[in-house]
Amino acid sequence: MEESITYLSYEWRDAAEKKLREELTPEQMKFISTSMSSIYKNCADGKERYLYIKCEEGDLSEISVGEGESPQAEFKIIGNYDTFALITQAKLSSQKALMTGKLKLKGNMVKALKLASIADRLNRVLAKIPAKY
Amino acid sequence: MSNIVNVSDPFYIDFPKRVSQIKEAMARQNIDVYLGSRLRTISWVSDTFCPWRSFIIIGHEGLPTVFTFVIDVARIADESWLGEDNVMGYAPMGGMEQISAISDYIKDQLNLKKGLIGIESGMSNYLPEGFLTQYEYEQFREALPDFEFVNSYDIIDRLSLIKDQGTINRFKEASRIVDIGHKAVYESIINSGYKDKTETEIAGIATYAMRKAGSEWEWSFTGGNEIASGYRTGLAGCACTPASRRKLQQGEPLMADLHAMFKLGLGDHSHNYFLGKATKRQRWHADNFLNIVKLSLKTYQTGSSPSIIAEEMMRFAEQEGFTEYLVPGFEHGIGMMGDEWRIGLNQGAIPYWTDPDHIYQEGELLICAVQYACPDEKIGFRYENPILIGKDGCEPLSKFPLKVEEIE
Repeated sequence: MEESITYLSYEWRDAAEKKLREELTPEQMKFISTSMSSIYKNCADGKERYLYIKCEEGDLSEISVGEGESPQAEFKIIGNYDTFALITQAKLSSQKALMTGKLKLKGNMVKALKLASIADRLNRVLAKIPAKY
Repeated sequence: MSNIVNVSDPFYIDFPKRVSQIKEAMARQNIDVYLGSRLRTISWVSDTFCPWRSFIIIGHEGLPTVFTFVIDVARIADESWLGEDNVMGYAPMGGMEQISAISDYIKDQLNLKKGLIGIESGMSNYLPEGFLTQYEYEQFREALPDFEFVNSYDIIDRLSLIKDQGTINRFKEASRIVDIGHKAVYESIINSGYKDKTETEIAGIATYAMRKAGSEWEWSFTGGNEIASGYRTGLAGCACTPASRRKLQQGEPLMADLHAMFKLGLGDHSHNYFLGKATKRQRWHADNFLNIVKLSLKTYQTGSSPSIIAEEMMRFAEQEGFTEYLVPGFEHGIGMMGDEWRIGLNQGAIPYWTDPDHIYQEGELLICAVQYACPDEKIGFRYENPILIGKDGCEPLSKFPLKVEEIE
């Protein structure tokens, strides 16, 4: 049994990078070039954190986690840590979270809709990482 | 609708020039960003038909950006000269409903944290005008607390008053298409063809012919192609006759007010008939109507005004003894889709209505409109035709011959 690692820690980031590279090919990522930041508000320690992912022609080119302001991204998804945690554990769909205003999207919405299925695919892979929330 | 980039195309409009003119006007009024919400503004800037609630954001840098309901974004981006990076969607999602999407765009994309926002506020008798609602205004104020708001719709009204050649050519083409519709109606009712036909069928015959000729829409919010027969032609003040299921009958008048749209240019011409032989009294009414239409077309020119025209027409009607049958107004405004009813700028005695003392200038377009109705005798006629104001007269854009023909 794999050992749980803390969600959004540097260890989790390394595991996420490994998993994404193993499980998502550029073809599955539809050769997209984009970047997105998930902004986690109200983390348990009261801080704000981010998860930044960048893809170039379907290849994962950058993944980072951190505190404070995230790198510039084409899309930003903003919400409470608890909301993201529920989504990652498949207890809440990201679509419902957006429709009910629990998550807020910033960026060109039409492009975001085109990328929605890819984002879902990406989230499903990340959800496989055993993590402590 | 067009996405025309070839300057030699007769329907080409220099939209970047329009945007530059708006930006210059904004600079003169210290406006940092223009938040347009009227249909006429969106048509005039984006060159696209936006039927959903839409907004256009114009900053001092870069191209304007249209915000519309997300389901229509791809089509608008496909048709507008603005392209997909400048057509954005809103939807009922966190951060993506119209207030958040637009206020975030102003703050994050235009990089404005405070300043002056020009909005479009006012009233209209025309339903789809699109002034900012009170709710939208309050929500934008809340979302953009460090901004001041100023009513600036007059920027677009002033700039769009005199029509450029591309706009005029689009209107001419829309009128040519309307004439095709009238020809189709005429051919369908002659030789007793009107018998057993309904008003809705006549509307459909016109629509089919005009669509075949390239019309995109029967655009009028008063009912598409407006068809009236019998007593419905004579309803007092009646300027709204969506076709009904009423059957056309011998001995009655028929009014066909057809509308075509070509690249947001609008055709609007009303033509009238008698089904069968008119009585002497009916002919008297028809001749009164024709005479006053002819006189009005002779009167429109640079330097004239709605009140001058109205006084002259009513004087003539008084002299001929038919004042009681006339609506005492002889025009309504027109521009690219969404620009209707009010003529000129909002500077008359009654806010947001046509200024009766508006002085017509060369290059203005308007609809010459004459409404003649005698409810007691169940008879009425309507004339509408887009006219281009010239130095010494006007050019009616629809060329369908002016007459009230008796269809034997």
